[in-house]
Amino acid sequence: MLYTYSGLILFAPLLAFVIIIFGTRMGDLLSRPRVASSPAHGDSHGGADAHGSNSHAVDSHDAHGDDHGEHAQDDDDDPKVPSLSGWAKASAYVGIVIMALACIYSWVLLFSSLSDPSSLPTQGVDVFSYTWASFGSVNYTIAFHLDRLAITMLTVVTTVSLLVQIYSRGYMSNSAGYARFYSYLSLFAFSMLVIVFAQNFLVIFIGWELVGLSSYLLIGFWINKRAKPDEQRPSPASAQLQAFVTNRVGDVGFIIGIMILFTTFGTFDFSTLFRLAPTMDKTLLTIAMICIFCGAIGKSAQLPLHVWLPSAMEGPTPVSALIHAATMVAAGVYMVARTFPLFAAADPAALGVVAWVGGITAFFAATVALVQIDFKRVLAFSTISQLGYMFVGLGVADNAGAGMFHLFTHAFFKALLFLGAGSVIDALHHATHKETQDMRLMGGLASRMPITAITWLIATLAISGFPFLSGFYSKDNIIGMTLEKGDIALYVITLLTAGLTAFYMLRAYIQAFGGKDGKVLGLWGGTYRGAGKPHESPLTMTIPLMILALFAIFAGYWTGFFGYVTPGAPPLNIGTMLSSVDTWVGVVVAFIGLGWAWFLYTRVDAAKLHAAVENNGFLRAIHRFLFNRWYIDDLYNWIITYIVLGGIAFLAQLFDTYVIDGIVNGVAGLVNIFGRDLRRVETGKVQSYMIGFFGGVALLAVLVFVLIFTRG
Amino acid sequence: MLTLNHFLILGAVLFCIGLYGAIAKRSAIAVLMGIEIMLNAVNITLVAFSAFNQVKVSAPSVPYGNYSSYLTGQIFAIFIITVAAAEAAVALAMIISIYRKRNTVDVGEINMMKF
Repeated sequence: MLYTYSGLILFAPLLAFVIIIFGTRMGDLLSRPRVASSPAHGDSHGGADAHGSNSHAVDSHDAHGDDHGEHAQDDDDDPKVPSLSGWAKASAYVGIVIMALACIYSWVLLFSSLSDPSSLPTQGVDVFSYTWASFGSVNYTIAFHLDRLAITMLTVVTTVSLLVQIYSRGYMSNSAGYARFYSYLSLFAFSMLVIVFAQNFLVIFIGWELVGLSSYLLIGFWINKRAKPDEQRPSPASAQLQAFVTNRVGDVGFIIGIMILFTTFGTFDFSTLFRLAPTMDKTLLTIAMICIFCGAIGKSAQLPLHVWLPSAMEGPTPVSALIHAATMVAAGVYMVARTFPLFAAADPAALGVVAWVGGITAFFAATVALVQIDFKRVLAFSTISQLGYMFVGLGVADNAGAGMFHLFTHAFFKALLFLGAGSVIDALHHATHKETQDMRLMGGLASRMPITAITWLIATLAISGFPFLSGFYSKDNIIGMTLEKGDIALYVITLLTAGLTAFYMLRAYIQAFGGKDGKVLGLWGGTYRGAGKPHESPLTMTIPLMILALFAIFAGYWTGFFGYVTPGAPPLNIGTMLSSVDTWVGVVVAFIGLGWAWFLYTRVDAAKLHAAVENNGFLRAIHRFLFNRWYIDDLYNWIITYIVLGGIAFLAQLFDTYVIDGIVNGVAGLVNIFGRDLRRVETGKVQSYMIGFFGGVALLAVLVFVLIFTRG
Repeated sequence: MLTLNHFLILGAVLFCIGLYGAIAKRSAIAVLMGIEIMLNAVNITLVAFSAFNQVKVSAPSVPYGNYSSYLTGQIFAIFIITVAAAEAAVALAMIISIYRKRNTVDVGEINMMKF
C-alpha cells in the first residue's frame, strides 16, 4: 500500500511546477507595479524573464528601475526586486512544502522497507503504468517502478532538493526571478524522479532529456549575465548551450545502445531485458552497453564529455549543489546501476570500459582541480573526479553497491561543499557588491563565517577520506575493491587521485577560510584579501549546511547499504576494512595530501610559492597545462571551429547553396523557361491558331491512316 | 473516265488552296475568301460522294436504269451553302466593326489576346 502510492512522490513536484508556473508566478508578475522604463539603463535587462513570461517587459523595467540603491554597482546582471511579493514567497512555500512531503514519504519508505523487508518484494512494485501507444506486438508504455535501489536514490534526491530549496530562500532572496527559480527546481525534481522510478529505457530517456532541459534552464537562469573571459568564465547563455549540446552528443550513443537492444528484443522494459540479455550475442550486447554508457559519459561529465560541468558553474550556486553535484550528474551512475544486470551479462570489457573511463577521468579532474583559482571550479572538477570514482566502483564490482554507496555519501558532502561555497559567495557579494568567486580575494573567512567554515571543513575531510567520516567508507571501499580485483593500474590511479583530492580540497579550504596567520595552525581565520566585511549567512542558509554536515559524518555508517541495494550482497564490514592494510595505505596517502596542502598554503608565503612556480620552467609548464584543463577545451574549440564549422558545416553550406538551392532554383528556372517559350504560342493572331489547328488535323489524319490501313 | 477519286482530289486540292489563303493572307477579306473556298471544296466532295455512291432501287421514279444515289450528300451541301452565306455575312460585319475600331483589316494586327 505504502509502496504502491509512492507514485505521489513522482507527481508531487510536477504539481508544484504547474502550480508555480501557472499560478503563483503569474500572480507575482501581475502584481508588480507598472512603471515607465528608466532611459539611463537602456534595455539591457529586457529579456531577463523571457522564459514563458508574457509581461517581461513590465517586470524587468520596473525591477531595474527600483534598484538604484545599494545594488546599483552590482555586476551580476541579475534583476533585483527590493522585496519579494507575497506571490513569489508563495511559490517558494509551494515548492518547499511539496518537496518536504515527498522527502518525508521517501524516508518513511526507506525505514519501512528496512524494518520490514518482506513488505517490499525484491523485484519491487509497479507504481504506475500507462500504455502510450501500441503498434502490433510492440507496446510503448510509460511504466514507473519502485524497488530498493530506487528508494535509496529517492531519499538522496528528495533530501538534497528540499535542503537546496530551503537554502534558495536565502540565496535568491531579492532576485526578480524568484518564482521562476522555484518552478524550475520543481521541474528538475520531477525529471530526476522520472529517471529514478523508470522501469524501461523509454521512460529513462524521457527523464534523461527532461533533466537536461531543467539543467539548461537553470544554468542559464541569469540569462543576461555577461561572460568574463579573463576569469575563464563563459556567459550563462553559452554555458547552458554547451551543457545541453554536450549532453546530446552522449545521447547519440545512448540511443544507439537502446536501439540495439530494442531491435534485438522488441522491448524497452528492464525486467524483460534482464531476463533475456544472456541469450543475446555477447559482442552485440557489449557494444550496446558501451553505447549506453556513452549516455552516462555525457550526463555524468566524464572524459571526454566533461567540458560542460565547469561552465555549468555559471548557474546560481543552489543549482550547482542540486544538479551538478548531487543528483543530475549522478543520473548516469544511477542508470548504469539500474541496468547493471545487462552490463554483467555482457563481456567484462563493458564494465572494464566503465571502470577505466571513470579512473582516468578521476585522475584528470583531480590534476586540473589542483591549480584552479575559482572556488566553484575546484568543486566542479572535484565532482567530475568523484563521479569517476563511482564509475570505477561500478566497474570493478559484481553489483551496483559500491558505486551507489559512494553516490549516496558523495551527494551529501558535495551538496554541502557547494552550498557552503554559495554561502561564501553570497556573503562576499553583499560585502563587496561584486560577484567574485576568485579564491585569491578570499582568505580568513573562518573567523567571520564560523558555521560555514566548520561545515565546509567537515565536508573537506569527508571527501578526502579522513577516517571515520562517510567519504572514508565509500571511497576507500572502492580503492580496496580495485586491489581485490587485481587491477593494479587502476588501484594506483585511484590511490593517487585520493591523495590529489585531499590536497586540492584542503588547499581550497585554506585559501578561503584560513591563511598563514590563522589560528589552529592556520586553519581558522587569518587575513582577508578581499574588500568589505563579510559576515555569516542567515539561518535559512546555514541550517541546511548543518543538516548536510550531519549526513556527511554519519551516512557512511549504513553498512547494510550493500545488502539493501543488492539483496544477498554482504554488508560493509567495517572491522575487516579497518584491519586491512590497503585501507590504511589510503589513509596515509590522504594524510600526505592534506599535510602537503597544509604546509604549502599555511607555512609558505604565497608570493614565494608563486615565484617558485613561475621561475621553474618545468613547474610553470605543468601549471599552464593543468590550468588550461589539459587544453581539452581548446582542442574542442579548435575541432569545432576548423573541422565542424570550417569543414563539415562549410561543405554542407556549399552543398546547400549549390546543390539543393540549385535544384530548387533550377526547377523554378526550368518552369520559367518553359513558360517563357510556351507563352509564345499565344500570339493572339487567329491565323497562327489556325496553323496549329490544321496541323493537328493533318497529324491525326496521318495517324488514322497509319493505324487503320496497316491494321487491315 | 471520271471516278470518285478525281473529284476527291479536286476537293482536297481546293481545300488546301483555301487553307493557304486563310492562313497566309494578311487581309481579312482574303482570309474570308479562303474560308469560302474551303467550304466549297467540302461541298464538291460531298456532292461527289452523293453522285458516285449508288443504291439499287426498283421504282419507276428513278430516271437511270433502276439506280438512285444517296441524296444525303447533296442535302448536306445545301446546308453548307446556307451556313456559309450566313457566316460570310457575320464575318463581314465583324471585319467592318474591327475596321471601325482599329482602322485596319490586317489580321496580323489584331493580336490583343496574345501573352
